[in-house]
Amino acid sequence: MIQRLAILWVLLGGSVLAAEFTRADRDWWAFQPVRQSAVPDAGGDWAINKIDHFIARRLAAQELSPATTADRRTLIRRVCLDLTGLPPAPEQIAAFLDDDSPDAYEKLVDRLLDSPRYGESQATFWLDLVRYADSDGYKSDHYRPEAWRYRDYVIRSFNTDKPYDRFVREQLAGDEIDPGNRDALIATMFLRHWIYEYNQRDVETQWNEILADVTNVTGDVFLGMGLQCARCHDHKFDPIPQRDYYRMRAFFTPLLPRDSMPVGTVSQRFEFFEQHKAWAAATDDIRRQLHAIELPALLKNTTGEGFSKFIDRIKTMVRKRPEDRTGYERQIAELSERQFGVEPEKLPERLKGGMKEEWERLRAELKSFEAQKPKPLPQVKFVISDAGPVAPATRIPKKGDDVEPGFLSILNPGSARITLPPAALRSTGRRTALAKWITSPDNPLTSRVMVNRLWQQHFGRGLAANTSDFGKLGEPPTHPGLLDWLAARFVADGWSLKKMHRRMVTSATYRQASANAQSEQADPANTWFARAPIRRLSAEQVRDGLLAVSGELDLESGGEGVVADESNRRSIYRKVMRNSPDEVMHTFDSPDHISHMPQRNVTTTATQSLLLLNSEWTRNRAAALAKRLTKRHPGNAEAQVAAAHELAFGQAPLPSQLNDALAFLDACGAANKPSGLAALAEYCHVLMNANAFLYVD
Amino acid sequence: MNFGAQVTDEIFSRRELLLRGGAGFGALALSGMLARDKAFADAGSLAPGQAHFAPKAKNVIFLFMEGGPSHIDLFDPKPLLNKLAGQRMPESFKRPITAMGETESPLLASPRTWKRHGQSGAWVSDWLPHTAGCVDDLAVIRSCWTNGINHSGGVCQMNTGQPLAGRPSLGSWVNYGLGTANENLPAFVVMTDTKSTPTNGPRNWSAGFMPAAYQGIRLSPGAEPFRHLNIPKGVTPATHRRKLELLRRLNEQHRATREHQSELEARIRSYELAYRMQSAAPEAVDLSRESEATRRLYGFGNRDTEPFGRCCLLARRMVERGVRFVQIYHGAGSKWDSHSKMEENHSRQCRQSDLPTAGLLKDLKSRGLLEETLVIWGGEFGRTPMSEKGDGRDHNPTGFTMWMAGGGVKGGQVIGSTDELGLWATEDRLHVHDLHATVLHLLGIHNLDLIYRYKGRPETPTINEGAAYTKITSG
Repeated sequence: MIQRLAILWVLLGGSVLAAEFTRADRDWWAFQPVRQSAVPDAGGDWAINKIDHFIARRLAAQELSPATTADRRTLIRRVCLDLTGLPPAPEQIAAFLDDDSPDAYEKLVDRLLDSPRYGESQATFWLDLVRYADSDGYKSDHYRPEAWRYRDYVIRSFNTDKPYDRFVREQLAGDEIDPGNRDALIATMFLRHWIYEYNQRDVETQWNEILADVTNVTGDVFLGMGLQCARCHDHKFDPIPQRDYYRMRAFFTPLLPRDSMPVGTVSQRFEFFEQHKAWAAATDDIRRQLHAIELPALLKNTTGEGFSKFIDRIKTMVRKRPEDRTGYERQIAELSERQFGVEPEKLPERLKGGMKEEWERLRAELKSFEAQKPKPLPQVKFVISDAGPVAPATRIPKKGDDVEPGFLSILNPGSARITLPPAALRSTGRRTALAKWITSPDNPLTSRVMVNRLWQQHFGRGLAANTSDFGKLGEPPTHPGLLDWLAARFVADGWSLKKMHRRMVTSATYRQASANAQSEQADPANTWFARAPIRRLSAEQVRDGLLAVSGELDLESGGEGVVADESNRRSIYRKVMRNSPDEVMHTFDSPDHISHMPQRNVTTTATQSLLLLNSEWTRNRAAALAKRLTKRHPGNAEAQVAAAHELAFGQAPLPSQLNDALAFLDACGAANKPSGLAALAEYCHVLMNANAFLYVD
Repeated sequence: MNFGAQVTDEIFSRRELLLRGGAGFGALALSGMLARDKAFADAGSLAPGQAHFAPKAKNVIFLFMEGGPSHIDLFDPKPLLNKLAGQRMPESFKRPITAMGETESPLLASPRTWKRHGQSGAWVSDWLPHTAGCVDDLAVIRSCWTNGINHSGGVCQMNTGQPLAGRPSLGSWVNYGLGTANENLPAFVVMTDTKSTPTNGPRNWSAGFMPAAYQGIRLSPGAEPFRHLNIPKGVTPATHRRKLELLRRLNEQHRATREHQSELEARIRSYELAYRMQSAAPEAVDLSRESEATRRLYGFGNRDTEPFGRCCLLARRMVERGVRFVQIYHGAGSKWDSHSKMEENHSRQCRQSDLPTAGLLKDLKSRGLLEETLVIWGGEFGRTPMSEKGDGRDHNPTGFTMWMAGGGVKGGQVIGSTDELGLWATEDRLHVHDLHATVLHLLGIHNLDLIYRYKGRPETPTINEGAAYTKITSG
């Protein structure tokens, strides 16, 4: 019997007590395999695609009827903002209104998905999730000159509809799975977006926090599971024992932040590695002697924060030759070395006498091996790799035992099976194993989490309301069958995001009007989706929208970030400085880019009103719009007002609104004696403050 | 307490307020109105102005001495330090990791003259003669400790509870928990004594993962107290009113077909509030209404004391008008940071801040405001007994002094202690979480019961740790 138990124990992976989990834990909806839900019959004539049958079934059960279909002008503004982040231009509206074909709307959706604006808009939501920024955070908030390459990578990936599973694998393990692909290496910057304090002398604690950060963000972004609770104790609500937290963290324990990383296929890396190994072996003795001479001289005169401020334990790690360091020593030594510089060019003046002669002799000798050195591979900056093929231990604090990498044990109790990558990559293969598990079609979380995030984008709330917490503190899905059907479709469609967006925004559910008296009464929270939500524009949509309306928007794509205040480019291309956020962005609830943000706050504040009413930035947009209108319709106030209305709201003005506008222009002109242009600018400024601009329905 | 039930009632009443509109719209304040259904469902907020239990304090003024004042030169005398000056710290003292690695540097004597003051006989050095005169109102906490060893982490932690960025600041929690008492002014106001930005910048008073509505709003003395408050140049008041009227009409038309959407109504109100603020704020910051005697009390007319004095006087005017939480940075940009030339640095910092600090305490007291206003003094950490660069001191997060006064605090007491060199807090150690819990306690909030749900997780101001030092009210 005991023997049998032991076998069972081993079968279960030996690491987690099976009894740890209750029946309720195991039965939790998010841990069940994604079901191939049967599409319900409900929906009849109303339904356009499968989504609608699922929605209709629930509506029938709640005795609710869907809203009418939104009119075309409403619909085009909604779908343009949802898919491209920009309001429709009058020409786009006209083309759509004039298209009588039955699939006019579908064609519009395809045009929007094909537009480069789509990826730029989608990137916003992804960068919120991964806490992307162009600066370190902390006191000095140093600029990160390479980070923007990740932002462009995300935009590119969305625009080319890179399969989501590939997108995830590149970000977690691009260096292992496709080392010759520059984009795959840039993707690993996902693991570099942590805040970083350049002068933190407690290096080991900082490293500990960095590993915690990447563990947490991985759980949040891909799995919709808050792991951080389990860092210090077993999760109080979800079946995540503390050991699981460290099993997950063990995938990242070998990480090494790299400021320079070779780009090369496995065979190129192999060739380099072998040559380098031979050169290193041939010169080992010389370099050892050189190290002994150079190191004391170099460490005696350091620049930056200096070497002397570290505790002895760290000094010892730094003094070791890189090739003699363990993986952990390499991590800590290199992190410490970021704090100071050495001046090898000054060695000739700093070395004296016989020591200097010896040094010169060794240098010359080393130089004679130069030809044997491999030619350097092209490099990419600000990425991450492993510190070597041997992973440092992952230890549960205060308990002291080492933990092997493993997944959430409620889903997979055994240790992860790790395949060591080719030796030339100097990597453990751990992150590849994690990426494979996360993107396995059988993983019940990954596909559900992602389709639920897209649903939130288009319908205002996820089918499971807490899009990054599928645990017990989140809320179970309102439409579990639909969620599973979408998740299964997503995988079956080759993890195509564009197909999923298309499916959602072409549904009858999406095309509903925002008014539905019955649903407003019976279902004020719109749990059953019997109407479209009315939503305030996001910070990016406010800023980009105002620039688009004023005709100033600069649509240049990609490249290093710009200062939002000084540029008319899209907000996605602004420098995201953590300690000095752009005012418009921040005021309209752009997150702090320090931690994961799955759903932005939406606030209504007087600060926003003051910014829109009184700031120079907004007034300049209004002035530009006024100029644009006078150019287009010189001397014709009525046409100017109508054009302004359509630009800002996507609607023609009502006769009463036109009258109000003309009366306003008269009164403004008469009272202040400004030129017509100034009065028109004041009018435009009012439109830019209006709810019809700030909200979409 | 049964939090769940209260939250439901609260959601209902706020939603009702939103839907009702009109004169009953008291909940909308400058510092915010959440207007998304989700936000209501997530809120663990207390009813505005309602605490968990009877509060001692209504308002807080936090005087933040940024850069780290030296407790062992101000409030915590250490005779052994002068005895061992010039030597290495004895082996018996545990070595901390310090910012500049000065653990083995020679100990630096404190050349101060120390005296016991007031009826309580608490020690204060000659660097703070005016504060010394108020010592019977202070609870001097000598046993504070924190985790952040650098300015960034330290300032962040003293504001948000942890050295890593991302959490709401204490003022935001108070704003979230208690709401505002004056809907025409922000509930959480921040000032700096100079134009310099404090370490970490606005992140220190940000709402972190909470809605931005709860963040601190910067108040600058001068023509435009709050950003974008003034009508732009070139726009006459008549034009401004005409624009607001046109905007109102447009928004009413827009809302007519969207009656159920309370957020649209809230937005309309936010413009009315902005308009009201434009008249309320200039009055609130108009110091010309203060008597000459009052101005002198705060150090007006003296180049050294006036900048901080102005902030302190503004702080009094803010709490008088119901502003819940005022934070003033003295030495904004780490000016108390004295890695070298202690003497010069702290002489200057104390000269600038001591008199206005005492002035604020006296003024609050004479107006009967001190009883309901908690005043906090302190920095992000203290300084080491070990020297740095011969005549300075390194950061000391493991033991330092802060004081609290008013707001129910029993004055004239000394809480806790550090070791014989002032390096480690030893008795009644109070971590930042405990200090924050104490502040919340005085405001009638239990630190573990104030909950905000972020990503579905219940978050509390002190990260589920910390306990209020309740004896602070009784001594």
